This record gives sequence, structure tokens and C-alpha cells, in this order.
Amino acid sequence: TDSEGLQTKIVENQTYDERLEINDSEEAASIYTPTSRHEGLSHSAHIPNKTMADNSSDEYEEENNKEKKKTSKLTPQRGFSENDDDDDDSSETDSDEDDDDEEHGAPLEGAYDPADYEHLPVSAEIKELFQYISRYTPQLIDLDHKLKPFIPDFIPAVGDIDAFLKVPRPDGKPDNLGLLVLDEPSTKQSDPTVLSLWLTENSKQHNLTQHMKVKSLEDAEKNPKAIDTWIESISELHRSKPPATVHYTRPMPDIDTLMQEWSPEFEELLGKVSLPTAEIDCSLAEYIDMICAILDIPIYKSRIQSLHLLFSLYSEFKNSQHFKALAEGKKAFTPPSNATSQAGDAETLAFS
Amino acid sequence: MMLSRAKPAVGGDLPQADKRKKKGRKIPKLEELLSQRDFTGAITLLEFKRHVGEQEEDTNLWIGYCAFHLGDYKRALEEYENATKEENCNPEVWVNLACTYFFLGMYKQAEAAGFKAPKSRLQNRLLFHLAHKFNDEKKLMNFHQNLQDITEDQLSLASIHYMRSHYQEAIDIYKRILLDNREYLALNVYVALCYYKLDYYDVSQEVLAVYLQQIPDSTIALNLKACNHFRLYNGKAAEAELKSLMDNASSSFEFAKELIKHNLVVFRGGEGALQVLPPLVDVIPEARLNLVIYYLRQDDVQEAYNLIKDLEPTTPQEYILKGVVNAALGQEMGSRDHMKIAQQFFQLVGGSASECDTIPGRQCMASCFFLLKQFDDVLIYLNSFKSYFYNDDIFNFNYAQAKAATGNTSEGEEVFLLIQSEKMKNDYIYLSWLARCYIINKKPRLAWELYLKMETSGESFSLLQLIANDCYKMGQFYYSAKAFDVLERLDPNPEYWEGKRGACVGIFQMILAGREPKETLREVLHLLRSTGNTQVEYIIRIMKKWAKENRVPV
Repeated sequence: TDSEGLQTKIVENQTYDERLEINDSEEAASIYTPTSRHEGLSHSAHIPNKTMADNSSDEYEEENNKEKKKTSKLTPQRGFSENDDDDDDSSETDSDEDDDDEEHGAPLEGAYDPADYEHLPVSAEIKELFQYISRYTPQLIDLDHKLKPFIPDFIPAVGDIDAFLKVPRPDGKPDNLGLLVLDEPSTKQSDPTVLSLWLTENSKQHNLTQHMKVKSLEDAEKNPKAIDTWIESISELHRSKPPATVHYTRPMPDIDTLMQEWSPEFEELLGKVSLPTAEIDCSLAEYIDMICAILDIPIYKSRIQSLHLLFSLYSEFKNSQHFKALAEGKKAFTPPSNATSQAGDAETLAFS
Repeated sequence: MMLSRAKPAVGGDLPQADKRKKKGRKIPKLEELLSQRDFTGAITLLEFKRHVGEQEEDTNLWIGYCAFHLGDYKRALEEYENATKEENCNPEVWVNLACTYFFLGMYKQAEAAGFKAPKSRLQNRLLFHLAHKFNDEKKLMNFHQNLQDITEDQLSLASIHYMRSHYQEAIDIYKRILLDNREYLALNVYVALCYYKLDYYDVSQEVLAVYLQQIPDSTIALNLKACNHFRLYNGKAAEAELKSLMDNASSSFEFAKELIKHNLVVFRGGEGALQVLPPLVDVIPEARLNLVIYYLRQDDVQEAYNLIKDLEPTTPQEYILKGVVNAALGQEMGSRDHMKIAQQFFQLVGGSASECDTIPGRQCMASCFFLLKQFDDVLIYLNSFKSYFYNDDIFNFNYAQAKAATGNTSEGEEVFLLIQSEKMKNDYIYLSWLARCYIINKKPRLAWELYLKMETSGESFSLLQLIANDCYKMGQFYYSAKAFDVLERLDPNPEYWEGKRGACVGIFQMILAGREPKETLREVLHLLRSTGNTQVEYIIRIMKKWAKENRVPV
């Protein structure tokens, strides 16, 4: 293998060979390939070999020791190893020669040469004095070299490629993630809090909201967009709810007025005669007119707003703690008060 | 807090052309959310259903599925772990759990869970990738043989090729599948990723555009586009791409947030590196390398070394960085071992078929030869890419030394003078080599000025010796004499007297030859008189005699 060692040996790529070993001190010279790349494509970042050869030949014309340059050095893949015996020797010689050039100047252009001044017409005394010049031999001072390593650019991360190690849908249907589209969430994700509010709103189970997590926003002052989005989505949610108040087009009495007690005579009469139920033989419209009249709710062209007021009144009684307590306390002993009767009527109405 | 602030904001009847408006009363369906890849929404819906007791079968598995594809692997893990603890758990859940462990980097647990799952193609793919992570070649080959010629298995294989830097093999697989399945748009992104890794950034852009045309807000694709821009143009262009991505994402979008933060540091030239990168080390593979690069740029070689010393290099970038750190540390500590390691790494990368024609590859070869002090070879490589580095101080520092070392002092001087960094200009390597160049280029005065600007130190003493001897060699006796004179005062070594004596006589010779003005003689006599040597009177007498005969005032 010694003779082979001198030559470039390319290790072919094998299926899983990118693990590299560093040349051991006993190993023969070889070129390792950390990655496999195939030639033949235009490669913007690659420099054509030509540039290299051109530039370098220019350089060398200026130098006086051209004959020393071996063309083999121009090929970047030249195999070398300082460990192999033969190679070691040759590289040592190389650097020694370089050192010679550099240090001994071989011969340095413009260096002092006493012979240049021998012709000077001077006295013997001065000539003798000139001997002092050659009596001192200037030292050869070795200068260090320092490689400033080329620090690479920062390296952006692009991530790995989908390895199809993904959980399938629980129902076994194909999801085509990683095929038709990349397996990544879309940038438009629902806000969990907002969506929960929507879901709660739709389900009418308002008590659920209390258990909801509410997220907080870090550095809120730096993130006006998130705040705007939040305000926007919450406003939207509120808009979608039925409005809290209805503006009647015609004058209507307010709820408090309608909740006032009837006159004692009427109360007394109600003890004997019950209010007309939905059984009564008339149309729905007539029935509405009748009930609204009893409850002092005016009816204009359309009955919708009047009905709204009717149901609002019902709701008010139903939710009133005062009347609830009153109704429960007196249920067994006293005739129904106007309040309860009204409420009861409304209930029948609601179901009719 | 935010809720109460928002409540009274029920405003006027601004027309809202929002699609949410349409949803108005409609509860989004799970399938809709899934097809929009709104996994956050899907999880919210599923949780809501679980909460109100509308629970269907497998709700936990659905939540696990959504969390997994959202990239929230911790959440997915929670669901799958609970599922496996249930009594009549579907054994298929184990492979889901295994996949989740895999993405959390918990490979041992992933393997254990994987083995509990019934045999399936997914299980085989998972064990295949685990074998790769464990560097178990034997197992890898086993599972490799079990892969079938079906799309998922082939894509999984291609992904291994990619991770092993076998990009062309991966591309071949993708192209083959795309040939029969043009609708598999995502594969274009995979091909673009491979081309990116191969440094074909413009090809990558082209292929990527196919996907972005259909899905313009894809995070992975836009990030890749930004990276291509970084390589093709600069950090600013790259940052602009990421900015638009971040602006368009909703605030609940967490996917790839770390990747984006990481790349912002890269695109901003290392800004914020110390805040962002340390927690990402071993999460994003590049984070460690970038932190090393950051420390190198800050000249904190020791920190850089600590971070990289245990890294087993596999990619060219890792080899290069190990080489760079070892070279820097080796030179700082004067350690031949580190230099040797550096030189071997550089040789390995620079000599590889894939890197030999890239700039980093050639930088490696130049560095390798530099450490071997073969400066003719250094120049071959540096010349091949010097046009890319005209104003680069590091390049010029090395280039000028190589020029000077090969005897081309005039270009050496020229290149040294291009260097801007004050730190480099105060480096003794710079000062000594530039002084030598000046002297050989017959500008000894400039070399002397370099000395004058230095503070007294061991280095300034060395520079004096260099000037004294190099000038002597070049017959520039005036500055040689001045340098020897100072040396003699600092250290009464007889050698310095001999040098000074020779140099002073040398000036006298130059005056006689008409190469120095006669007036200099006065200064020569002055220099000589400062030495208390018996020879001084003898020399002065001869010189004065000549001066008298030639009517030179002294």
C-alpha cells in the first residue's frame, strides 16, 4: 500500500458512509468525501477551476523560482499526508525550500554587496575602515506566521425533510399531509379563547365560560396587532349575539310601569274569573291582541314589537327574586297575585 | 384583564367582510378545521366537546393527532400516554406514542414504545430512523430492507438520505415519485431543500416557487425562501421574507417559532445571539455552530472550543468549524496538537469532491497549506477566490503573509496596507512582516516609523532587531545604525556595537559613493560617540579627516 499511498485514492460513496474517520497516523493518504454531491448541475456558489489556474499562473510569472512549481499542485485533490513516510519527506523538503527562499533571500534583490563599492577611490585607511562593514554579518531573523482562520458565515436553519414518521388519523382516513401539502399547521390558527367563546355562545351553556383559560399576552405594548385582533374578534362575537335592547319604533310603556299592580277590583275579579287560555276559540292574532290589551301593551301595525315587550315582561318576572320568593311562599295559601297570574299566562302564551 | 377591556367595545355597524362573520352562528366542523390545518381550532373544538360531554369515541386520539401535527409534541405525548394506560387501549396507539417520543428527541423511549406496537410500515420506518439516530448500521440495513416500494416508505428513505447529506439520492427519489404524482406538491419543497443544501440556491428558488404559488403562506417554504435569499443576497433580504411570514401569522401560531428566532439572529449577523442561541443548542442543530461562530467573531476562542470540543463532526460545516477553532486555539496556545488536528480537518474538507470547488473548501485548503507553511500552495488557493474577499481583513492578513513569505514583498506590502482592523494592525505578525516588506521594498523609513509608534515592549525590541539586521542586509545603513544604537542602549551586548560600527561605516561608504547626503556624517559621528568604545576614536578620526579634506562641516 505504500506505493498506493502516494496516489490520490478516492473512496467511493457507499450507501451510508458519511461517517468520517480522521486520518490515523498510520493510514495511507487518501481523500475522504464527507458528502456526496453530484456533478453536472450549474452551481452558482462553486468557482470554476479555470479561475484558479488563471490567477495562479499570473502570480507565478513574477516569481523567480518557477521551475519549482509542480503542476500537480494545481489540482485541489492532490493527495497528501504528512504521516506517510514518503509523503512526509517530500512535504518537509517543500517547506524547507520555501524557507530557504524566504530567509536567505536567494539572492535577495537589492541586497548590499560590498563588491559594488570596491571601485571607490579612497585612501588605504578608509578602505581598511570599510572592512568593518563585512565584519558584521546581519542575523537572519525568523518571523512567525499566523493564520487568521476564515470564520464561516452564520448558518441559517432550514430544518429536516418530512420523514413520514407521523401519526395517522384515528379513523384511518388518509390525510395527505406531507404529500399534497407540507405537514405543517397553517399560519392562520384559531384563537383558542375566542373559539371557545363562540362554541359556548352557540351551545347556550353559558356557565362553561367560567372554566375557560384566558391567555395573557407578553410584551403587550410591543404587540398591538395581537391586541387589535383580539378586540376585533371579541367585538364580532358580541355583534353576533342578539342585541340586549330593542329600540321600539313607536312609544311603548316601560317594563316597570307594566309591572305595577292592577287595581284591587280587577285583582278581585281575577280571583273568580281566570284569564282566557289558548284554548279559546279565536285566531292567534286575536289572542295576542287580547292578552296585550289585558297587560296594557299597545299594538301598532305589527305585533312583533309588542310581543317582544310581552316576553321581556315575562322574563323580568321570571328572573325577579322578589316575585319568586313571593310566589313560592304564598303558593299554597293565597290566590295568585297579579304577578304570578300574569307570569303564568305568559307561560301558556309562550307554549301556544 | 383583556376581556373587560374589550367588552364595552360593541361598536357601530361597521361592515365586516370577515369570513368569521359568515361563520356567525355556525360552529366549525372538525373536518373543516383539519382541512385548513387549523389544528389549534380543532383541539379547541375537541376539548369543548369533551367538556360538555358530547364526547365521541377517540376524542383523546384526535386531540393527540391534532397536537402532533401542530408540533405541540408535549401535548400529544400527554394524550397518547394516557391512552396507553387505558385498559382496552388500541395497540396501534403505541406507535403514535413512539413517533411523539421521537420528535421530542427521546429516542430510547421511542424505541421502547415502538417495539410494543404491532408490526406496521410506520413502525418499520420509525425503527429505521431510530437506527440512524443510534448509528446502528446493522439495524439500519435490516429496517432498510423492510422498506417497500410505496410512497411513504420511499419518502422516509429519502429523508434519511437528506440527513446523511446524500442529497442527490434524495432528489432522485422525489423526482421519481413526482413523475407519477404531480399533485404531490409538497415534494417540490423537499427537492428545493436538497438543492439548497447542495448550494444551488437559484434552482432551489425555482422549485420552491411551484409550491408557494399554491400555498403562499407556508412557513417551511417561506423560511427556505428566506435562507435562499440570505445565501444569494444578504441578511436584509432574508429578514424581509421572515418579517412578512411573522406579520401574516396569527398570534396563536407557535409552529417553527424557534426556527424563526434562530434564523433572525443569523440574518442579523449574530445580533442577540447570546440571548437566543444557548437555549436552542441541541434543539436546532445549527444553533451550536452559530454560537461557536459568534464566539470566534468575538475572539473568545476558549468559549468556542468548549462548545465544539465534544461535537462529532459529520457535515462539512462541522469539520470546517472544528478546524477553525483548533487552528485559532492552537496558535493562541502554541499547541502543535491543535494545529495538527486543524490541518487534518481542513485537508479533509478541502480535498473532498463535494467541497473542493466551493469557497469554504478552498479556504480550507489554503488554511491547511498555511499551517504546513507551504506558501506557494497557499497562494494558489487564495488567488482562486480572492475576488470575493477584496476588502476582507482576515483574507488580506493571510494573503499578505503568503505573498511576503514567497518573496513578493511589493504585493505583500500592498495587501497589508488594505487591512483596516486596528487590532490586526497592532498584531506583531502584521508589524514585523510589514516592516520586512518595507525594508526589502527600500522604504526603511516607514519601517522605522512602525517602530516609533510602538510602545516599549518585548515586541518593540524584536522589531528593532529586525530593522537593524534586515536594513543592514539591504545596505540601508542609516536606519540599521539607528536601530543598533537603540538596541545597544537597551542591552550592552557587544554584538550590537559590532552591528552599529558596521552600519556607521556603511553610511560613510554610502556618503562616499554619493548615495547618502554628506550632512548625514554629523549624525553618524553623534551615533558613534554615544558608545564608550576605544575603537570609536579611531573611526571618528578617519571620518573627520575625510570631512576636513572634503569641506564637509561636522
